[in-house]
Amino acid sequence: MQYLLLIYGDEGQKDPAILQEITAAHMRLGAEMAEAGAMAGGNRLKPSETATTVRTVGGVQSLHDGPYAETREQLAGYYMVEAPDLDAAIAWAKKIPGGPDYAIEVRPVWSMP
Amino acid sequence: MTDAERVLAGAVATAGDRIRAALAIRFRDLDMAEEAFAFASLRAVEAWRRDGPPRDPAAWLYAVGRRRAFDLGRRAKVRQEAQHDAPEPEPDPEAVLMAAFEPIPDERLRLIFVCCHPALAPEARIALTLRTLVGLSVGRIARAWLTTEIAMGQRLTRAKRKIREARIRFEIPGPEAWGERLEAVLATLEIAYAQAYEDAAGATDAADLAAETLRLSGLLAELLPDEPEVLGLAALIRLTESRRPARLDGAGVMIPLSEQDTRLWDDRLIAEAAGLLRRAAELGRSGPYQLMAAIHATHAARRDTGETAWGDIVALYDLLLIVRPSPVAQVNRAVALAEAQDAEAGLQALAAVAAPERLADWLPYQAARAGLCAMAGRSREASEALRHALALSPAPAERLFLERRLAALRT
Repeated sequence: MQYLLLIYGDEGQKDPAILQEITAAHMRLGAEMAEAGAMAGGNRLKPSETATTVRTVGGVQSLHDGPYAETREQLAGYYMVEAPDLDAAIAWAKKIPGGPDYAIEVRPVWSMP
Repeated sequence: MTDAERVLAGAVATAGDRIRAALAIRFRDLDMAEEAFAFASLRAVEAWRRDGPPRDPAAWLYAVGRRRAFDLGRRAKVRQEAQHDAPEPEPDPEAVLMAAFEPIPDERLRLIFVCCHPALAPEARIALTLRTLVGLSVGRIARAWLTTEIAMGQRLTRAKRKIREARIRFEIPGPEAWGERLEAVLATLEIAYAQAYEDAAGATDAADLAAETLRLSGLLAELLPDEPEVLGLAALIRLTESRRPARLDGAGVMIPLSEQDTRLWDDRLIAEAAGLLRRAAELGRSGPYQLMAAIHATHAARRDTGETAWGDIVALYDLLLIVRPSPVAQVNRAVALAEAQDAEAGLQALAAVAAPERLADWLPYQAARAGLCAMAGRSREASEALRHALALSPAPAERLFLERRLAALRT
Protein backbone atom coordinates (compact mmCIF):
# COMPACT_ATOMS: atom_id res chain seq x y z
CA MET A 1 0.00 0.00 0.00
CA GLN A 2 1.14 3.56 -0.64
CA TYR A 3 1.34 6.28 1.99
CA LEU A 4 1.76 9.99 1.40
CA LEU A 5 4.08 11.58 3.96
CA LEU A 6 3.34 15.30 4.08
CA ILE A 7 6.00 17.52 5.60
CA TYR A 8 4.76 20.59 7.47
CA GLY A 9 7.24 23.09 8.79
CA ASP A 10 7.91 26.68 9.68
CA GLU A 11 9.05 28.48 6.55
CA GLY A 12 10.98 30.99 8.63
CA GLN A 13 14.13 28.85 8.72
CA LYS A 14 16.62 30.61 6.47
CA ASP A 15 20.05 29.71 7.86
CA PRO A 16 21.82 28.37 4.75
CA ALA A 17 24.08 26.04 6.72
CA ILE A 18 21.10 24.33 8.39
CA LEU A 19 19.15 24.18 5.12
CA GLN A 20 22.12 22.57 3.42
CA GLU A 21 22.38 20.00 6.17
CA ILE A 22 18.66 19.18 5.93
CA THR A 23 18.87 18.89 2.15
CA ALA A 24 21.78 16.47 2.44
CA ALA A 25 19.79 14.41 4.96
CA HIS A 26 16.86 14.28 2.49
CA MET A 27 19.21 12.99 -0.22
CA ARG A 28 20.43 10.24 2.07
CA LEU A 29 16.87 9.31 3.07
CA GLY A 30 15.79 9.21 -0.59
CA ALA A 31 18.65 6.83 -1.36
CA GLU A 32 17.72 4.64 1.61
CA MET A 33 14.07 4.51 0.50
CA ALA A 34 15.09 3.65 -3.05
CA GLU A 35 17.36 0.89 -1.86
CA ALA A 36 14.56 -0.57 0.30
CA GLY A 37 12.18 -0.45 -2.68
CA ALA A 38 9.92 1.93 -0.75
CA MET A 39 10.40 5.11 -2.83
CA ALA A 40 7.33 5.96 -4.88
CA GLY A 41 7.97 9.68 -5.30
CA GLY A 42 8.61 12.88 -3.44
CA ASN A 43 9.42 16.53 -3.88
CA ARG A 44 10.33 19.67 -2.07
CA LEU A 45 7.82 22.47 -2.61
CA LYS A 46 8.51 26.16 -3.22
CA PRO A 47 7.42 28.48 -0.35
CA SER A 48 3.70 28.84 0.34
CA GLU A 49 3.81 32.47 -0.81
CA THR A 50 4.08 31.06 -4.34
CA ALA A 51 0.88 29.03 -3.86
CA THR A 52 -2.45 29.70 -5.55
CA THR A 53 -5.68 28.20 -4.30
CA VAL A 54 -8.50 27.47 -6.72
CA ARG A 55 -11.63 27.44 -4.63
CA THR A 56 -15.09 26.33 -5.74
CA VAL A 57 -18.04 27.61 -3.76
CA GLY A 58 -21.51 26.71 -4.91
CA GLY A 59 -20.10 25.66 -8.26
CA VAL A 60 -18.39 29.01 -8.81
CA GLN A 61 -14.63 28.98 -9.04
CA SER A 62 -12.33 31.72 -7.85
CA LEU A 63 -8.59 32.12 -7.36
CA HIS A 64 -6.87 33.04 -4.14
CA ASP A 65 -3.33 34.11 -3.66
CA GLY A 66 -1.78 31.86 -1.03
CA PRO A 67 -2.00 28.35 0.40
CA TYR A 68 -5.23 26.55 1.35
CA ALA A 69 -4.65 27.07 5.07
CA GLU A 70 -2.87 30.11 6.46
CA THR A 71 -1.01 28.54 9.34
CA ARG A 72 2.45 29.02 10.72
CA GLU A 73 3.46 25.54 9.65
CA GLN A 74 3.10 25.07 5.92
CA LEU A 75 3.29 22.12 3.57
CA ALA A 76 6.91 22.11 2.51
CA GLY A 77 7.27 18.83 0.67
CA TYR A 78 6.21 15.21 0.55
CA TYR A 79 7.28 11.65 0.05
CA MET A 80 5.21 8.87 -1.41
CA VAL A 81 6.29 5.55 0.06
CA GLU A 82 5.36 1.97 -0.58
CA ALA A 83 4.90 0.26 2.80
CA PRO A 84 3.24 -2.95 3.99
CA ASP A 85 1.40 -1.21 6.84
CA LEU A 86 1.01 2.00 8.85
CA ASP A 87 3.77 1.06 11.24
CA ALA A 88 6.28 0.76 8.41
CA ALA A 89 5.09 4.08 6.96
CA ILE A 90 5.47 5.74 10.39
CA ALA A 91 8.99 4.35 10.63
CA TRP A 92 9.83 6.18 7.36
CA ALA A 93 8.07 9.34 8.58
CA LYS A 94 10.25 9.36 11.67
CA LYS A 95 13.34 9.37 9.47
CA ILE A 96 12.37 12.52 7.57
CA PRO A 97 14.70 15.39 8.56
CA GLY A 98 13.54 18.96 9.14
CA GLY A 99 15.17 20.78 12.04
CA PRO A 100 13.94 21.00 15.63
CA ASP A 101 10.20 21.65 15.02
CA TYR A 102 8.12 20.16 12.21
CA ALA A 103 5.37 17.63 11.63
CA ILE A 104 4.79 14.76 9.22
CA GLU A 105 1.26 13.71 8.35
CA VAL A 106 1.00 10.09 7.27
CA ARG A 107 -1.93 9.45 4.92
CA PRO A 108 -2.80 6.12 3.36
CA VAL A 109 -3.55 6.34 -0.36
CA TRP A 110 -6.64 4.75 -1.88
CA SER A 111 -5.44 1.91 -4.03
CA MET A 112 -7.15 1.48 -7.37
CA PRO A 113 -8.84 -1.89 -7.67
CA MET B 1 -31.14 -18.87 33.15
CA THR B 2 -31.18 -22.15 31.26
CA ASP B 3 -28.42 -24.73 31.43
CA ALA B 4 -27.21 -23.74 27.97
CA GLU B 5 -27.06 -20.09 28.97
CA ARG B 6 -25.17 -20.94 32.13
CA VAL B 7 -22.57 -22.98 30.26
CA LEU B 8 -22.24 -20.16 27.71
CA ALA B 9 -21.76 -17.54 30.43
CA GLY B 10 -19.09 -19.74 32.01
CA ALA B 11 -17.25 -20.28 28.72
CA VAL B 12 -17.38 -16.55 27.92
CA ALA B 13 -16.08 -15.66 31.38
CA THR B 14 -13.14 -18.05 31.20
CA ALA B 15 -12.26 -18.02 27.50
CA GLY B 16 -14.17 -15.12 25.92
CA ASP B 17 -11.10 -12.86 25.77
CA ARG B 18 -9.01 -15.54 24.11
CA ILE B 19 -11.68 -16.40 21.55
CA ARG B 20 -12.33 -12.77 20.62
CA ALA B 21 -8.61 -12.09 20.35
CA ALA B 22 -7.94 -15.21 18.30
CA LEU B 23 -10.73 -14.31 15.86
CA ALA B 24 -9.58 -10.68 15.55
CA ILE B 25 -5.97 -11.60 14.89
CA ARG B 26 -6.80 -14.44 12.54
CA PHE B 27 -9.05 -12.32 10.34
CA ARG B 28 -7.31 -8.99 10.95
CA ASP B 29 -10.69 -7.30 11.24
CA LEU B 30 -12.15 -6.25 14.59
CA ASP B 31 -15.71 -5.75 13.30
CA MET B 32 -15.80 -9.15 11.70
CA ALA B 33 -14.42 -10.80 14.83
CA GLU B 34 -17.04 -9.12 16.97
CA GLU B 35 -19.85 -10.15 14.68
CA ALA B 36 -18.54 -13.70 14.43
CA PHE B 37 -18.29 -14.02 18.20
CA ALA B 38 -21.81 -12.67 18.70
CA PHE B 39 -23.08 -15.11 16.08
CA ALA B 40 -21.34 -18.06 17.77
CA SER B 41 -22.81 -17.11 21.17
CA LEU B 42 -26.27 -16.93 19.69
CA ARG B 43 -25.90 -20.26 17.93
CA ALA B 44 -24.52 -21.81 21.10
CA VAL B 45 -27.67 -21.12 23.09
CA GLU B 46 -29.85 -22.69 20.37
CA ALA B 47 -27.66 -25.71 19.71
CA TRP B 48 -26.77 -26.46 23.30
CA ARG B 49 -30.37 -26.22 24.41
CA ARG B 50 -31.26 -28.71 21.71
CA ASP B 51 -28.29 -31.11 21.89
CA GLY B 52 -26.83 -30.37 25.30
CA PRO B 53 -23.55 -28.48 25.80
CA PRO B 54 -20.43 -29.76 24.00
CA ARG B 55 -17.46 -31.25 25.79
CA ASP B 56 -15.37 -28.13 25.23
CA PRO B 57 -17.71 -25.10 24.98
CA ALA B 58 -14.87 -22.61 24.37
CA ALA B 59 -13.48 -24.61 21.45
CA TRP B 60 -17.01 -24.91 20.06
CA LEU B 61 -17.47 -21.13 20.20
CA TYR B 62 -14.12 -20.55 18.55
CA ALA B 63 -14.82 -23.07 15.78
CA VAL B 64 -18.27 -21.65 14.99
CA GLY B 65 -16.97 -18.08 15.22
CA ARG B 66 -14.15 -18.89 12.83
CA ARG B 67 -16.50 -20.52 10.36
CA ARG B 68 -18.77 -17.49 10.54
CA ALA B 69 -15.85 -15.13 9.93
CA PHE B 70 -14.82 -17.18 6.88
CA ASP B 71 -18.36 -16.87 5.56
CA LEU B 72 -18.46 -13.13 6.22
CA GLY B 73 -15.13 -12.70 4.48
CA ARG B 74 -16.23 -14.74 1.50
CA ARG B 75 -19.48 -12.81 1.24
CA ALA B 76 -17.65 -9.48 1.40
CA LYS B 77 -15.44 -10.68 -1.43
CA VAL B 78 -18.43 -11.78 -3.50
CA ARG B 79 -20.08 -8.42 -2.91
CA GLN B 80 -16.95 -6.65 -4.05
CA GLU B 81 -17.12 -8.55 -7.30
CA ALA B 82 -20.70 -7.27 -7.68
CA GLN B 83 -22.39 -10.65 -7.69
CA HIS B 84 -25.25 -11.97 -5.64
CA ASP B 85 -24.55 -13.17 -2.14
CA ALA B 86 -23.90 -16.84 -1.96
CA PRO B 87 -26.42 -18.59 0.26
CA GLU B 88 -25.03 -19.18 3.73
CA PRO B 89 -23.75 -22.73 3.86
CA GLU B 90 -25.25 -25.09 6.41
CA PRO B 91 -23.04 -25.43 9.47
CA ASP B 92 -21.20 -28.69 9.15
CA PRO B 93 -21.22 -30.51 12.50
CA GLU B 94 -18.30 -32.69 11.43
CA ALA B 95 -16.09 -29.69 10.76
CA VAL B 96 -17.13 -28.04 14.01
CA LEU B 97 -16.24 -31.22 15.86
CA MET B 98 -12.87 -31.53 14.14
CA ALA B 99 -12.02 -27.89 14.79
CA ALA B 100 -12.93 -28.35 18.42
CA PHE B 101 -9.70 -30.27 18.88
CA GLU B 102 -7.64 -27.33 17.69
CA PRO B 103 -6.43 -25.31 20.67
CA ILE B 104 -7.43 -21.64 20.76
CA PRO B 105 -4.24 -19.65 20.18
CA ASP B 106 -3.49 -16.96 22.73
CA GLU B 107 -3.47 -13.76 20.69
CA ARG B 108 -4.47 -11.41 23.51
CA LEU B 109 -1.14 -9.61 23.68
CA ARG B 110 -1.14 -8.92 19.94
CA LEU B 111 -4.67 -7.60 20.21
CA ILE B 112 -3.74 -5.32 23.12
CA PHE B 113 -0.98 -3.81 21.01
CA VAL B 114 -3.41 -3.27 18.11
CA CYS B 115 -6.08 -1.65 20.29
CA CYS B 116 -3.54 0.54 22.10
CA HIS B 117 -1.68 1.68 18.99
CA PRO B 118 -0.32 5.21 19.53
CA ALA B 119 -1.71 6.24 16.12
CA LEU B 120 -5.18 6.03 17.75
CA ALA B 121 -6.43 8.76 20.09
CA PRO B 122 -6.11 7.77 23.77
CA GLU B 123 -9.87 7.74 24.40
CA ALA B 124 -10.38 5.59 21.31
CA ARG B 125 -7.72 3.16 22.54
CA ILE B 126 -9.43 2.74 25.89
CA ALA B 127 -12.85 2.19 24.36
CA LEU B 128 -11.47 -0.25 21.82
CA THR B 129 -9.56 -2.23 24.44
CA LEU B 130 -12.55 -2.51 26.77
CA ARG B 131 -14.86 -3.43 23.91
CA THR B 132 -12.68 -5.78 21.91
CA LEU B 133 -10.53 -7.45 24.51
CA VAL B 134 -12.79 -7.49 27.53
CA GLY B 135 -16.11 -7.54 25.71
CA LEU B 136 -17.66 -4.71 27.73
CA SER B 137 -20.85 -3.41 26.10
CA VAL B 138 -20.77 -0.12 24.20
CA GLY B 139 -23.49 1.20 26.52
CA ARG B 140 -21.46 0.40 29.61
CA ILE B 141 -18.34 2.08 28.23
CA ALA B 142 -20.40 5.11 27.19
CA ARG B 143 -21.83 5.45 30.72
CA ALA B 144 -18.37 5.46 32.28
CA TRP B 145 -17.26 8.27 29.96
CA LEU B 146 -20.51 10.18 30.43
CA THR B 147 -21.36 10.06 26.77
CA THR B 148 -24.16 8.53 24.73
CA GLU B 149 -24.09 5.04 23.35
CA ILE B 150 -24.36 6.49 19.84
CA ALA B 151 -21.36 8.77 20.33
CA MET B 152 -19.30 5.96 21.83
CA GLY B 153 -20.35 3.63 19.01
CA GLN B 154 -19.18 6.19 16.47
CA ARG B 155 -15.87 6.60 18.25
CA LEU B 156 -15.35 2.83 18.13
CA THR B 157 -16.36 2.65 14.48
CA ARG B 158 -13.91 5.42 13.58
CA ALA B 159 -11.09 3.66 15.42
CA LYS B 160 -11.82 0.32 13.77
CA ARG B 161 -12.02 1.98 10.38
CA LYS B 162 -8.66 3.64 10.91
CA ILE B 163 -7.08 0.32 11.90
CA ARG B 164 -8.43 -1.20 8.71
CA GLU B 165 -7.98 1.66 6.23
CA ALA B 166 -4.61 2.95 7.42
CA ARG B 167 -3.56 -0.67 7.93
CA ILE B 168 -2.27 -0.80 11.48
CA ARG B 169 -0.02 -3.80 11.93
CA PHE B 170 -1.53 -6.79 13.76
CA GLU B 171 1.79 -7.79 15.24
CA ILE B 172 3.65 -7.49 18.50
CA PRO B 173 6.00 -4.52 17.92
CA GLY B 174 9.67 -5.12 17.32
CA PRO B 175 12.47 -3.74 19.51
CA GLU B 176 12.67 -0.47 17.50
CA ALA B 177 9.11 0.49 18.49
CA TRP B 178 8.80 -1.46 21.74
CA GLY B 179 9.25 1.42 24.21
CA GLU B 180 6.76 3.75 22.54
CA ARG B 181 4.19 1.00 22.00
CA LEU B 182 4.41 -0.38 25.53
CA GLU B 183 4.08 3.13 26.93
CA ALA B 184 0.88 3.59 24.91
CA VAL B 185 -0.53 0.34 26.34
CA LEU B 186 0.33 1.33 29.92
CA ALA B 187 -1.09 4.84 29.50
CA THR B 188 -4.29 3.37 28.09
CA LEU B 189 -4.76 1.09 31.09
CA GLU B 190 -3.87 3.87 33.50
CA ILE B 191 -6.50 6.23 32.07
CA ALA B 192 -9.06 3.42 31.93
CA TYR B 193 -8.50 2.69 35.59
CA ALA B 194 -8.60 6.37 36.57
CA GLN B 195 -11.99 6.56 34.88
CA ALA B 196 -13.18 3.39 36.59
CA TYR B 197 -12.05 4.87 39.89
CA GLU B 198 -14.01 8.09 39.31
CA ASP B 199 -16.95 6.14 38.02
CA ALA B 200 -17.04 4.03 41.19
CA ALA B 201 -17.81 7.03 43.36
CA GLY B 202 -21.26 7.56 41.91
CA ALA B 203 -22.50 4.80 39.67
CA THR B 204 -24.18 1.76 41.10
CA ASP B 205 -22.95 -0.73 38.50
CA ALA B 206 -19.42 0.64 38.66
CA ALA B 207 -17.55 -2.32 40.04
CA ASP B 208 -17.49 -4.15 36.71
CA LEU B 209 -15.49 -1.47 34.93
CA ALA B 210 -12.90 -1.35 37.70
CA ALA B 211 -12.88 -5.14 37.91
CA GLU B 212 -12.25 -5.45 34.16
CA THR B 213 -9.41 -2.93 34.27
CA LEU B 214 -7.94 -4.81 37.22
CA ARG B 215 -8.19 -8.05 35.29
CA LEU B 216 -6.69 -6.49 32.16
CA SER B 217 -3.68 -5.17 34.08
CA GLY B 218 -3.21 -8.63 35.63
CA LEU B 219 -3.42 -10.24 32.21
CA LEU B 220 -0.79 -7.87 30.86
CA ALA B 221 1.50 -8.69 33.80
CA GLU B 222 0.99 -12.38 33.03
CA LEU B 223 1.76 -11.89 29.33
CA LEU B 224 4.77 -9.59 29.88
CA PRO B 225 6.30 -10.84 33.15
CA ASP B 226 9.71 -9.34 32.36
CA GLU B 227 8.53 -5.75 31.95
CA PRO B 228 8.87 -4.15 35.41
CA GLU B 229 6.61 -1.19 34.56
CA VAL B 230 3.83 -3.57 33.51
CA LEU B 231 4.14 -5.25 36.91
CA GLY B 232 4.28 -1.81 38.54
CA LEU B 233 1.04 -0.70 36.92
CA ALA B 234 -0.70 -3.96 37.87
CA ALA B 235 0.47 -3.42 41.46
CA LEU B 236 -0.63 0.23 41.43
CA ILE B 237 -4.13 -0.65 40.26
CA ARG B 238 -4.40 -3.42 42.87
CA LEU B 239 -3.32 -1.16 45.70
CA THR B 240 -5.75 1.59 44.72
CA GLU B 241 -8.54 -0.89 44.19
CA SER B 242 -7.84 -2.56 47.56
CA ARG B 243 -9.13 0.57 49.26
CA ARG B 244 -12.43 0.76 47.41
CA PRO B 245 -14.51 -0.51 50.38
CA ALA B 246 -13.01 2.19 52.62
CA ARG B 247 -13.28 5.17 50.30
CA LEU B 248 -16.77 6.36 51.23
CA ASP B 249 -18.70 6.38 54.49
CA GLY B 250 -22.31 5.30 54.84
CA ALA B 251 -23.52 8.73 53.76
CA GLY B 252 -21.42 8.73 50.60
CA VAL B 253 -18.82 11.14 51.97
CA MET B 254 -15.25 10.72 50.73
CA ILE B 255 -12.82 9.47 53.38
CA PRO B 256 -9.23 10.57 52.73
CA LEU B 257 -6.64 7.83 52.54
CA SER B 258 -4.96 8.64 55.84
CA GLU B 259 -8.28 8.45 57.71
CA GLN B 260 -9.59 5.24 56.15
CA ASP B 261 -10.35 2.22 58.30
CA THR B 262 -7.56 -0.14 57.25
CA ARG B 263 -9.61 -3.17 58.27
CA LEU B 264 -11.81 -2.51 55.25
CA TRP B 265 -8.88 -2.72 52.82
CA ASP B 266 -8.69 -5.81 50.62
CA ASP B 267 -5.87 -8.06 51.90
CA ARG B 268 -5.74 -10.25 48.85
CA LEU B 269 -5.16 -7.33 46.46
CA ILE B 270 -2.51 -5.80 48.74
CA ALA B 271 -0.67 -9.12 48.90
CA GLU B 272 -0.89 -9.55 45.12
CA ALA B 273 0.55 -6.07 44.65
CA ALA B 274 3.41 -6.81 47.03
CA GLY B 275 4.29 -9.91 45.00
CA LEU B 276 4.20 -7.96 41.74
CA LEU B 277 6.41 -5.19 43.15
CA ARG B 278 8.93 -7.71 44.46
CA ARG B 279 9.19 -9.31 41.02
CA ALA B 280 9.50 -5.88 39.41
CA ALA B 281 12.30 -4.91 41.79
CA GLU B 282 14.20 -8.08 40.90
CA LEU B 283 14.23 -6.96 37.27
CA GLY B 284 16.15 -3.88 38.38
CA ARG B 285 14.66 -1.21 36.11
CA SER B 286 12.70 1.40 38.03
CA GLY B 287 10.05 3.64 36.49
CA PRO B 288 7.08 5.87 37.27
CA TYR B 289 4.50 3.10 37.68
CA GLN B 290 6.71 1.20 40.12
CA LEU B 291 7.33 4.41 42.06
CA MET B 292 3.62 5.26 42.25
CA ALA B 293 2.90 1.70 43.35
CA ALA B 294 5.64 1.96 45.98
CA ILE B 295 4.00 5.12 47.35
CA HIS B 296 0.68 3.32 47.62
CA ALA B 297 2.37 0.26 49.14
CA THR B 298 3.87 2.52 51.81
CA HIS B 299 0.37 3.80 52.60
CA ALA B 300 -0.91 0.22 52.65
CA ALA B 301 1.69 -0.71 55.27
CA ARG B 302 -0.30 1.34 57.80
CA ARG B 303 -2.59 -1.65 57.97
CA ASP B 304 0.16 -3.64 59.70
CA THR B 305 2.19 -0.97 61.47
CA GLY B 306 -0.57 1.43 62.47
CA GLU B 307 1.36 4.41 61.17
CA THR B 308 2.39 5.94 57.86
CA ALA B 309 6.06 6.37 56.94
CA TRP B 310 5.60 9.90 55.60
CA GLY B 311 9.34 10.47 55.23
CA ASP B 312 9.58 7.49 52.86
CA ILE B 313 6.60 8.80 50.92
CA VAL B 314 8.23 12.22 50.46
CA ALA B 315 11.41 10.54 49.22
CA LEU B 316 9.43 8.43 46.73
CA TYR B 317 7.61 11.51 45.45
CA ASP B 318 10.98 13.21 44.97
CA LEU B 319 12.05 10.35 42.72
CA LEU B 320 8.71 10.32 40.90
CA LEU B 321 8.93 14.04 40.21
CA ILE B 322 12.28 13.45 38.51
CA VAL B 323 11.07 10.71 36.14
CA ARG B 324 7.51 11.95 35.67
CA PRO B 325 6.84 15.46 36.92
CA SER B 326 3.17 16.37 37.39
CA PRO B 327 1.29 18.98 39.41
CA VAL B 328 -0.78 16.28 41.13
CA ALA B 329 2.38 14.57 42.36
CA GLN B 330 3.67 17.96 43.55
CA VAL B 331 0.50 18.54 45.58
CA ASN B 332 0.66 15.05 47.08
CA ARG B 333 4.31 15.53 47.94
CA ALA B 334 3.49 18.81 49.72
CA VAL B 335 0.84 17.07 51.81
CA ALA B 336 3.25 14.25 52.68
CA LEU B 337 5.92 16.79 53.57
CA ALA B 338 3.52 18.51 55.97
CA GLU B 339 2.98 15.18 57.71
CA ALA B 340 6.69 14.32 57.75
CA GLN B 341 7.85 17.78 58.92
CA ASP B 342 5.22 20.39 59.66
CA ALA B 343 2.33 22.20 58.03
CA GLU B 344 4.45 25.26 57.17
CA ALA B 345 6.89 23.16 55.14
CA GLY B 346 3.93 21.65 53.32
CA LEU B 347 2.35 25.02 52.60
CA GLN B 348 5.62 26.33 51.23
CA ALA B 349 5.94 23.36 48.89
CA LEU B 350 2.30 23.75 47.88
CA ALA B 351 2.78 27.40 46.91
CA ALA B 352 5.47 26.30 44.44
CA VAL B 353 3.24 23.86 42.52
CA ALA B 354 3.18 24.43 38.77
CA ALA B 355 -0.56 24.04 38.25
CA PRO B 356 -2.16 23.28 34.88
CA GLU B 357 -4.30 26.42 35.25
CA ARG B 358 -4.25 29.39 37.61
CA LEU B 359 -3.15 27.80 40.88
CA ALA B 360 -5.98 29.42 42.87
CA ASP B 361 -8.57 27.93 40.47
CA TRP B 362 -7.23 24.42 40.67
CA LEU B 363 -9.26 22.11 42.90
CA PRO B 364 -6.46 19.78 44.13
CA TYR B 365 -4.49 22.84 45.23
CA GLN B 366 -7.34 24.45 47.19
CA ALA B 367 -8.37 21.14 48.76
CA ALA B 368 -4.80 20.44 49.88
CA ARG B 369 -4.34 24.03 51.09
CA ALA B 370 -7.48 23.78 53.20
CA GLY B 371 -6.11 20.67 54.90
CA LEU B 372 -2.68 22.16 55.53
CA CYS B 373 -4.03 25.49 56.80
CA ALA B 374 -6.31 23.65 59.23
CA MET B 375 -3.30 21.60 60.32
CA ALA B 376 -1.36 24.83 60.93
CA GLY B 377 -4.23 26.18 63.01
CA ARG B 378 -5.10 28.86 60.46
CA SER B 379 -8.87 28.29 60.47
CA ARG B 380 -9.80 31.46 58.60
CA GLU B 381 -7.53 30.61 55.65
CA ALA B 382 -8.67 27.00 55.77
CA SER B 383 -12.32 28.07 55.49
CA GLU B 384 -11.46 30.38 52.64
CA ALA B 385 -9.68 27.56 50.77
CA LEU B 386 -12.61 25.20 51.39
CA ARG B 387 -15.10 27.72 50.00
CA HIS B 388 -12.82 28.22 47.03
CA ALA B 389 -12.57 24.47 46.49
CA LEU B 390 -16.34 24.03 46.72
CA ALA B 391 -16.76 26.61 43.96
CA LEU B 392 -14.56 24.49 41.64
CA SER B 393 -17.19 21.74 41.12
CA PRO B 394 -15.76 18.79 43.05
CA ALA B 395 -17.23 15.30 42.54
CA PRO B 396 -20.22 14.54 44.81
CA ALA B 397 -18.31 12.51 47.42
CA GLU B 398 -15.56 15.10 47.66
CA ARG B 399 -18.11 17.94 47.82
CA LEU B 400 -19.72 16.32 50.86
CA PHE B 401 -16.30 15.87 52.43
CA LEU B 402 -15.33 19.52 51.89
CA GLU B 403 -18.69 20.73 53.18
CA ARG B 404 -18.26 18.67 56.31
CA ARG B 405 -14.79 20.11 56.88
CA LEU B 406 -16.13 23.60 56.43
CA ALA B 407 -18.90 22.98 58.96
CA ALA B 408 -16.36 21.59 61.44
CA LEU B 409 -14.26 24.75 61.17
CA ARG B 410 -17.26 26.96 61.87
CA THR B 411 -18.04 25.32 65.21
